[in-house]
Amino acid sequence: MKLSKMFVIVLAALLVGSFTIAVAQEMTKEQWQQELQSFTKQRDDLTVTLKSLTDQIAAKAAESTKLDDDYKKCMDELYALVGADAQKAAAFRSEIEAAEAKANELTRLSDADLAARAGEVDELGKKLESLWQNKLSLLPEFWDRLTALNDKVKSLKDALTRQVKVYTVGTWSRDRDCLWNISKKKDIYDNAWLWPKIWQGNRDQIKDPDIIHQGQKLQIPKGNELTQEEKAAARKYYAKKAAAVEPAPAK
Amino acid sequence: MRKLARTVTISGVALLFSSSLALVGCSSSPSEEEMNQLNNLKGEVASLQKEISAKEQQKAAIEKTLAEKGAKLKKCADDQQIVKQRLAAK
Repeated sequence: MKLSKMFVIVLAALLVGSFTIAVAQEMTKEQWQQELQSFTKQRDDLTVTLKSLTDQIAAKAAESTKLDDDYKKCMDELYALVGADAQKAAAFRSEIEAAEAKANELTRLSDADLAARAGEVDELGKKLESLWQNKLSLLPEFWDRLTALNDKVKSLKDALTRQVKVYTVGTWSRDRDCLWNISKKKDIYDNAWLWPKIWQGNRDQIKDPDIIHQGQKLQIPKGNELTQEEKAAARKYYAKKAAAVEPAPAK
Repeated sequence: MRKLARTVTISGVALLFSSSLALVGCSSSPSEEEMNQLNNLKGEVASLQKEISAKEQQKAAIEKTLAEKGAKLKKCADDQQIVKQRLAAK
């Protein structure tokens, strides 16, 4: 009897609970009406906002196009100031890039390798001078890059200068110093045939390579082979010598 | 006494049941068509919100581009002045 009473109570509670939930979840007509009004208003407001945004974007896109045109016109005027155009500027930019690449390549070299390529440093210096001669170098874009390149080339030249050895000429009687013998020394070139390097590296104080004086401080340029200029100077010297020792014509 | 308690309990349950039914039955609810109308409207609102969000992003991107282009144009004008000064100094 007690069990059946309990069963009836639980069943009643379940029934009441489920109906209450059903009622709570179900939307009334009034609620539907309110939501419909609310969402309709939201939709209308959002439609207005969307249209406004679309108009703003269109206006900004037009402004962007105008800025593009103005910029192109401004750049054309800028190039015209130095008698150039966009094409010439692009070509000049490429030249600078190539010079920068060369400077970077040389900067990464060891002292010994740099010394062996000292000629390229000179060439780069000359190239830089020619770039400065171009009026396009007045444009800030190029001016700044060329200024940076100047610093790099100067650093390279300084590095080469720091590497130059100095040899003080001794006496013939004691040291047997002549360019040939100096060049042959282990701590100089260890190669007598490189003597024109010393001559050409000291043109300011050696007019005749056969004559050097005690106490002269000779710079010993870096490198282990003769440059074209040094070879040419050596050929000229040997030709002159050969002409001097030719026997006098027979009478 | 026990009989009375039982009668009261059963009456209570019956009363609760009938009142719940009355509550559900008396309140008017929207039709399926009306609910569809509301749901469509909600979908439209959600879609508009999404579209607005995309447009706002697009607007922000254009504004950023405009600022960059404006700065470039100003730099160009400044460069012109610098070049003129350098040419005059030459």
